[in-house]
Amino acid sequence: MTDDIQNQKLAALKETARPCFQCGICSSSCPVFRVAPELNPRISVDSIITKGVVPREGNEWLCAYCLMCDQRCPMGVSLAEILMEIKNISAREGKAPPDVIESAESLMGDGCLSPISGRSEKIRTELGLPYLPRADPTDVMKIFKATGAIEVIEANKETTQEATE
Amino acid sequence: MKYAFFPGCTMAYRLQFAEKSIRMVVPKFDIDLVDLPFTCCPEPNAIRALSDDTWLTFAARNIALAENEGLDILTSCAGCHESLSLAKHELEKNPERKERVNEILKDLGLEYKGSSVIIHLHQILFDEIGIETLSSKVKRPIPIKVVTHTGCHLLRPERILHVDNAEVPVKLDLLCETLGMEPLDYMDKTMCCGAGVRKTNSVTSYAVLREKMTSMQMVEPDAIVVFCPTCFITFESGQRVANRIFGTDFMLPVFYYTELLAIAMDLPDTELLLNEHRVKLELPKSEESTKETGVSRGDSMASSP
Repeated sequence: MTDDIQNQKLAALKETARPCFQCGICSSSCPVFRVAPELNPRISVDSIITKGVVPREGNEWLCAYCLMCDQRCPMGVSLAEILMEIKNISAREGKAPPDVIESAESLMGDGCLSPISGRSEKIRTELGLPYLPRADPTDVMKIFKATGAIEVIEANKETTQEATE
Repeated sequence: MKYAFFPGCTMAYRLQFAEKSIRMVVPKFDIDLVDLPFTCCPEPNAIRALSDDTWLTFAARNIALAENEGLDILTSCAGCHESLSLAKHELEKNPERKERVNEILKDLGLEYKGSSVIIHLHQILFDEIGIETLSSKVKRPIPIKVVTHTGCHLLRPERILHVDNAEVPVKLDLLCETLGMEPLDYMDKTMCCGAGVRKTNSVTSYAVLREKMTSMQMVEPDAIVVFCPTCFITFESGQRVANRIFGTDFMLPVFYYTELLAIAMDLPDTELLLNEHRVKLELPKSEESTKETGVSRGDSMASSP
């Protein structure tokens, strides 16, 4: 089942990447490439087109998803969306960075990515801001379960455990 | 006009004074805000990267809550705006995914229909209210030089968002001009602030910030004006971190646009907003004292990056 999903994702990626003719404007527009050349959107796509291999050695997680590459590609290939898909594949294989798992757990906890603390609530009160209604935690959990996020989180926790053993 | 207000987690729990400025300003333009039990939008770089389906379903739930009330959604964060807009676009273009999402939402007593519009405050102020009406409300012009940063997720993908020209954004500059400011052009105007990779690789993230702020610094502005709480925090708190890592010397005050609007409209209690800033800028009290703008290191407790 999981393999099926991964294979479908790989096939879809190859199709999306196909129009790329390697002009490199994506990389030259990328703010991360400018300071950390190990993230090179052009090379990621090249690997998909010419070798049929989806590169997921970790650099995909350096993409800031600023969409500059998406804006500039003359062939309408969204490199940012390709990298997002690579991140999804990589996460299913248990290779998501720890901060991504932390964020997911924070969302699972109180429906919010920035932790809600006594202090942050106090500032709201002092400024006369209204209390913001919260999502029902049962509903939050239902979405996590129904969309397969729990399995992805588990897969990543297993990887972390193996790494520390 | 009534909107379901979507401040987003970052603004609501880390940049409360920016939210305050919005709630001070919008009633003056006959806008009512309704608070609903939204979750995080969710943020694409963590949640969507982990699971695209999870991201889409959470976003659909948020939009469905507003639809239930018959309201459009007013966003104030670029990230939330992009996330909700992209999800809406995806659900419209892909009926199969919409059906799957609705199967899950049914269990929550909700249905995503696609009837609510997602609109950012930037669009309300520039496209709906307009420069003319805004300038009629200005009582106390703010004569400072600024660089604007509209933010990646208000500009791109341009084919879906339509907030401003993604290569040459000018609307936020014009909004600043309306309040008496002088917007300066600078080289890397559409470049990212670096926030997207801060948690995953902080040195890379601050290196992007260094590049961006070097470009801003070249034109010697008094302050940076943004329309996104995440960009705000990245510039304001991040510049100190960049200074520590790279030995740079950035010390630019940052404003969320509606803070300046509230000040220019001479609304009461704007000192509440400014007190929370980490890098302070003494704004001239009137047009006569335009020359004096002093930057000071503040030690207030706005959020750290």
